[in-house]
Amino acid sequence: MSADTAGPETLGSLSTEPEHQDPNSQQAKEIAGKSPMRIALGRLAKDKIAVVCAVVVLFFIICAVFAGPISAAFGVSLETPLASERVDGLNQGLPKPEMGPPNGPFTMEHPMGVAPRTGEDNLAYWLYGCRVSLLIAATATLFASVVGVIVGLLAGFLGGAVDKMLSFFIDMFLTIPFLLAALTIAPIINDRFNLSDNYGTIQKTALIVVLSIFGWMGTARLIRGEVLALREREFVQAARVMGMPTRRILFKELLPNLAAPIIISISLMLPTFVALEAGLAFLGIGVTDGVSWGQTILKATNLTFFREYPQYLWQPLLGIVALVLSLNLLGDAVRDALDPKTRR
Amino acid sequence: MFAYVVKRLISGVLVVTLVSMAIFLLFWYGPSSPAQPICDRETSNRCTPARLDTYERTLGYDNPVYVEYGKFVEGIFVGRTITIASSEYECGAPCLGVSFRTKQPVKEELVSRIPATFSIAIGGAFLYLLFGVPIGVAAAKRRGSVADKALVSSFLFISSIPYYLFALLTWLYLTITFEVPLFSDTGYFPITQDGPFKWFSGMFLAWVALGIFGCTQYTRFTRGAMVEALSEDYIRTAKAKGLPTRTIVYKHGLRAALVPVVTIFGIDFGTLLAGTIFTERIFEIQGIGWWALEAVQGRDLPVVQATALFSAVILICSNLLVDVVYSVLDPRVRLS
Repeated sequence: MSADTAGPETLGSLSTEPEHQDPNSQQAKEIAGKSPMRIALGRLAKDKIAVVCAVVVLFFIICAVFAGPISAAFGVSLETPLASERVDGLNQGLPKPEMGPPNGPFTMEHPMGVAPRTGEDNLAYWLYGCRVSLLIAATATLFASVVGVIVGLLAGFLGGAVDKMLSFFIDMFLTIPFLLAALTIAPIINDRFNLSDNYGTIQKTALIVVLSIFGWMGTARLIRGEVLALREREFVQAARVMGMPTRRILFKELLPNLAAPIIISISLMLPTFVALEAGLAFLGIGVTDGVSWGQTILKATNLTFFREYPQYLWQPLLGIVALVLSLNLLGDAVRDALDPKTRR
Repeated sequence: MFAYVVKRLISGVLVVTLVSMAIFLLFWYGPSSPAQPICDRETSNRCTPARLDTYERTLGYDNPVYVEYGKFVEGIFVGRTITIASSEYECGAPCLGVSFRTKQPVKEELVSRIPATFSIAIGGAFLYLLFGVPIGVAAAKRRGSVADKALVSSFLFISSIPYYLFALLTWLYLTITFEVPLFSDTGYFPITQDGPFKWFSGMFLAWVALGIFGCTQYTRFTRGAMVEALSEDYIRTAKAKGLPTRTIVYKHGLRAALVPVVTIFGIDFGTLLAGTIFTERIFEIQGIGWWALEAVQGRDLPVVQATALFSAVILICSNLLVDVVYSVLDPRVRLS
């Protein structure tokens, strides 16, 4: 590369360098001022799949946050006046033709049709189901990440007996799968609270607790490994020599360096929790008292409904698939962007 | 080696004890009264406080929790007699309690459910390896080609869909809508009663669904391990010697690459055994998972407790086994 082709502003800074610069090192100079996070974001923005997935995820977040206004805008609500006004009891409880599919044409009144037998509006249930799904997954991810990060930090940094004990608990919790825990706790929650007025809220809280209790170990392991490597680095040793208290070292020195593994573990947890929430509701052991995509799927797998009205099944099903798929692919792209060495 | 196995065994026993305590405590303190479900059932929902008290007393819920846990453990090793109200039920050696619904010892029904769950797990796991390993090897051999990239991204796509939705759609469309002959009647049919063909055709769709879904993960593992193994120096040496590609890939490469795959397989098999709930629920196979779900719906607490304990023990044992096998396969593990 000759001096004429390089711009005047680079000339000054490069004047001490040899004339024949290879393009790579020049590029490295230009991005030298960026933080690792900005570099990762730049990589992510160039990844077409990641951008598409981010848009899809954003769409679901908007649906979840504005479930109320959106359903109001379409003039639908969770409340059903009278089931017999909307469904035809003589025709296996399928919706009446004027309510839209499967027997009638599309109507603006119920853009996604109504549910068989109960006559509930599908669009409203879909929107609120999206809210429940994301709310439970996000809250559980938050709790599980906090617990995982704290346990991982302590186990990795303190070492010794603390590490042994915490690692034992990590291994112990890893042997018990989510599904089993949820299955065990469901009848207990049912037995204790089924007469309570806010049974639905209690169920959701219990679900979040179960997901958090059995979801933190992956993060803890990941963080522990990173901390083990980081604690021998010079800046941590310097902080120690200066007499910085352990808590400050953990949260001021180590934590900012753990942003990448934390983001990675969140990206793994979110889609898992969304899928699990719906899966448990489908089994009848998650949210059974309230709105959930999984519950709608369970109702829609009734064989008469499925034969006559497959759209009823496909609406929540596509919701879950699209959300989980885009969260997974986005997470994959984020992991690539944060650590480009792993894949190529 | 021996010391390592003993160490792992001790920690395994410790975990089993802790988990059994946790489960016992959960079922003791969790429900408003552990005897409420049976009282409701026996009195057809007219459970008065006096009657509830009788059930609680005969089931031992007025004793301190550690005494009852002791009895529970004793029951597992030597058996015990369980009293519910005025009737007594004999519960033989590994006593896990008496079902609230059928009044039969839980163990007997658990044993009768095991073949169905085992059939799913064995068939599914077999297909994991049958599809996963060869596809992974083939992809690693053609690393970087269009076919490899297409395979990797399409498998990433499949494995990003929740398993139960995949299984549900396979069942709904293949069995219900299109009535594909081989898949038309899913469920568990004991070999001894209905013959091997019926057993096979009942299970086949569940296996295929599990196999297709699970093999994506194995393809990824095998591909990764193979790519790594094929870049080792001894492979270059083998190539330089002029060995045929087949020998290099299968004898030298695959052998090294299979070690991590075997480990993951062991863990997965345990998980499969303990957690075929979705598969059983969707394909109507009446194994342990199906039974546990029924018990949850029927508020049959002893059955739920027993299935939870059984699955946890299976998982712990399979993890233990994997660790030991791994230490045999790879001596570096037990030295660290």
